[in-house]
Amino acid sequence: MLKRAGRINYPFSAVVGQEAMKLALVLNAVDPHIGGVLVRGEKGTAKSTTVRALASLLPEIDIVRGCAFSCEPGNEAGLCELCGENTGSPPTSKRKVAVVDLPLNATEDMVLGSMDFSLAVTSGVRRFRPGLLARAHRGIVYVDEVNLLDDHIVDIILDAASNGVIVVEREGISVRHPSQFILVGTMNPEEGELRPQLLDRFGLAVPVVGEENPRDRVKLMELRERFDIDPERFRNLFADEDKKIIDRIEAARNLIGSVALSETARKFIAEICLANNVAGHRADVVMERAACALAAYNGRSDVATEDILEIAPMALLHRRREAPPPPPPPDHEHEHKHEHDEHEHDERQQTDPGEQNAPDPSPEEQGTRQPEPGEAESGDTQTPAPPDCASEKVFDVGDTFKVKPFSHEKDRRVRRGSGRRSRTRTSRKQGRYVKSSLKNPSGDIALDATLRAAAPFQKYREANGMSVVIHEADIRGKIREKRVGNFLVFLVDGSGSMGARSRMVASKGAILSLLMDAYQKRDRVAMVVFRKQEAEVVLQPTSSIELAAKMLRELPVGGRTPLSSGLQKAFRLMKVHLLKEPAAGPICIIITDGKSNVALGDGKPQDEIMRIAGNMLLEPRIKYIVVDTETSSFTHFGLAARLAAALGADYFKIEELKTRELIDIVMSVT
Amino acid sequence: MQTKHIYPFAAIVGQEKMKLALVLNIINPTISGVLIRGEKGTAKSTAVRALADILPQIDVVKNCPYQLRKPHGGDICAECVNPDCRAAVEQKQAPPVERRKVRVVELPVGATEDRVVGTMDIEHALKKGEKRIEPGILAAAHRGILYVDEVNLLDDHVVDVLLDSAAMGVNTVEREGVSFTHPARFTLVGTMNPEEGELRPQLLDRFGLCVNIEGILDPEKRVRVMERRASFDDNPRDFIERWKEESEAVVGKIKKAIALFPEVAVDRKLMLEIANYCIEVGVDGHRGDIITLKTAKTIAAYEGRSAVESEDIDLAAELALPHRVRRQPFQDISTGIVRAGKNSKP
Repeated sequence: MLKRAGRINYPFSAVVGQEAMKLALVLNAVDPHIGGVLVRGEKGTAKSTTVRALASLLPEIDIVRGCAFSCEPGNEAGLCELCGENTGSPPTSKRKVAVVDLPLNATEDMVLGSMDFSLAVTSGVRRFRPGLLARAHRGIVYVDEVNLLDDHIVDIILDAASNGVIVVEREGISVRHPSQFILVGTMNPEEGELRPQLLDRFGLAVPVVGEENPRDRVKLMELRERFDIDPERFRNLFADEDKKIIDRIEAARNLIGSVALSETARKFIAEICLANNVAGHRADVVMERAACALAAYNGRSDVATEDILEIAPMALLHRRREAPPPPPPPDHEHEHKHEHDEHEHDERQQTDPGEQNAPDPSPEEQGTRQPEPGEAESGDTQTPAPPDCASEKVFDVGDTFKVKPFSHEKDRRVRRGSGRRSRTRTSRKQGRYVKSSLKNPSGDIALDATLRAAAPFQKYREANGMSVVIHEADIRGKIREKRVGNFLVFLVDGSGSMGARSRMVASKGAILSLLMDAYQKRDRVAMVVFRKQEAEVVLQPTSSIELAAKMLRELPVGGRTPLSSGLQKAFRLMKVHLLKEPAAGPICIIITDGKSNVALGDGKPQDEIMRIAGNMLLEPRIKYIVVDTETSSFTHFGLAARLAAALGADYFKIEELKTRELIDIVMSVT
Repeated sequence: MQTKHIYPFAAIVGQEKMKLALVLNIINPTISGVLIRGEKGTAKSTAVRALADILPQIDVVKNCPYQLRKPHGGDICAECVNPDCRAAVEQKQAPPVERRKVRVVELPVGATEDRVVGTMDIEHALKKGEKRIEPGILAAAHRGILYVDEVNLLDDHVVDVLLDSAAMGVNTVEREGVSFTHPARFTLVGTMNPEEGELRPQLLDRFGLCVNIEGILDPEKRVRVMERRASFDDNPRDFIERWKEESEAVVGKIKKAIALFPEVAVDRKLMLEIANYCIEVGVDGHRGDIITLKTAKTIAAYEGRSAVESEDIDLAAELALPHRVRRQPFQDISTGIVRAGKNSKP
């Protein structure tokens, strides 16, 4: 069952299909300055396999022998401090290009390097022990599931990638060394997106999807099966094919210096970038480089239009933005995931403003028809015909979209739990160890830092049978940080007015979008719906987002609007949660138009709401978000905005919830 | 260990699909695991623990913390503390090798990342002033079965680590100034109760097979469940003795299948059937195809045949595809879609 002792990579040339990904990787091998590749795609599409296979294709490099940073002989500007001091030509050696895997649990120490511990203890000397990025110099840094990597580590890598130099200042060591590498990341968008800044840093991005042709799939299965049975033989079988690619890369590397880019080609690139409304100039630069590399790879010394057209999608996929003036309706981003097409057509018809077949134009709708400015406040008291009798209706879920990021502000409180929404300090021995400190409140000793602090003094301390003598003053504690999911309470207006003009369709779409976001951030959710006479907790706090989505789909609409009761129920729910976890920060998302026509007491509903809201504001640990469902094209009461102000809440219109920075990439994948 | 009695695998009533999925994974570890989804009290954990009974044997260096077959001279062996192995290697001899059963290593839901991945041996660091790794659960699970009960409740950090090792077959320890990698190829067996929330798609995809199980509805079988359980609790030793023959039969069948497996051949036409199947039901990526093929071959071997038949593929698809079918966000994992797809075919 365990045939191979070492690990044999699946050969590059044996990967079936995925031409765009293979080309993008090869181009980077030809010209590392292109700036890396981001491979985006569904599971099981040979993403990782191909990237690992690339390693064996890269030509060997010359290095200064014994240099810990793999310095390039002769390149005086790019030498590390040690090699820089050495004058004369140092001895050189050859080695394979390093592919450094960056594990998701890597710490800052590992990535940047730290003090050499053994040396410090034995000789009392502080010396720098290089980290992963030093090993990766002139090689590849490979991050599988780059979207799951900690933001903090991502920042470090980005910084290094753009500067080409690493500066380490820690534990009494100060080091500068070169680190230039190709960053290759793979990700599955289902697990959440990358931050736009990080997206832009990747030179090229390619989408991958499974093969649709059954014959190719069979071929793929056959090859994989043969590889699994005898990897060694399989590799030899494809050695010739691989060699061809290696030779072609080698030839292209020699040729690339003489590849010329004509003026028209440059203009063409600029036009493409303008037409796609990309931010900044990185796209232009990357396209030029990639086009040259492609020409060289094809053995030509001038760039043809086809070269540009071939690489343009890779350079633009992750940089294209929507044209600013009239934002086109955000298309169905999850088209391939969406249920049925007819379904969507239905929704389109319903959202069509001219359409009058909206289900029973309820009294509320008539109310909005004859708007009088003064009515805004009093309109709720003189409720028209009791709409309770109005038939209940279940609306479809509207379009979903990617929601804006929201979270609690980072503070210094320590919390428990897991998730990925808000950053927090953590007291348990969990989470990423961000740094060490002289204080050690939790008994979570940062052993490395403690030993390092003690190490330089070992020569002078008396060893009582111990090999390391640690004094009180050496002890360092760990400061850990992690992201926790929040507790989200959805307070949804389920009254008859939500049925008008398909508000509920859009609202449900918005809530589902928020739920998808909640899934990615690992939140707990609860749902309170207010309709008819009082509010009801339809979903008790749960981490099963599936359950919430199911509840949402089946949520009926109809009846009056007991907003006060809703606010009260939601507030009580969060208070109970706070009793259990005093440091937790619940977020309450209120989806309403702000109207209320059922009071708890005898007063006017609207006044009551303001009073309740005032009380709710007194609990500082809860964050409120009001999502206004009122469509702005009609006369606007602004009641939701008032509620938001009273709660100190963030206020959004449904359409404002969407992120509009980038066209969602998922679209172009299909 | 000797005093704790394990309920015999062969004595589990019903749940044929689950038992088959587990057995197939023993025969062919490259199927890469099984996810068992079901309600409470459906013999999920019992079945996984019972595996210990029927697992085959492997050669392992005595007391090797990394479960290696022989020392390979890398980093991990250089810093290893196993005295048996170390002494032998210093004298340039082969270290003592023992033959033992494949292990089932349990990953508790509350496990912290450092216990899973491995951490630094504090005692050694203080006494000797050297850093040394204390291997974690992933090292213990190499070449064995990693069992995660309630896998959907696992902490996010730990899931990331699991994904990493499952994908690469190695575990990288990057801790407190220590860095090294050791092989960690294991069969991932997870159980979960879907009511508690779903798994992340990425982790879901790492499980080769997926079975949904329910309580048995046949009253007679339920009686049998109660009878057997009562008699096991009464006198485990006798019970195990009584089932010995059947347990041995299973073990024998598995042994034969392992021997036969390399010879199993698949007709190209059947592979085309798999591919069409996967396209028809809409599977993400190609892992579905590959796993279905492997599973079908393993089923054939288990049945004692050296050629895959169409029925093997049906059964394999039923096990390998339900959790890979493309779903709408938050849609439940289907149970019957594969069969439905099959029926609709001419």
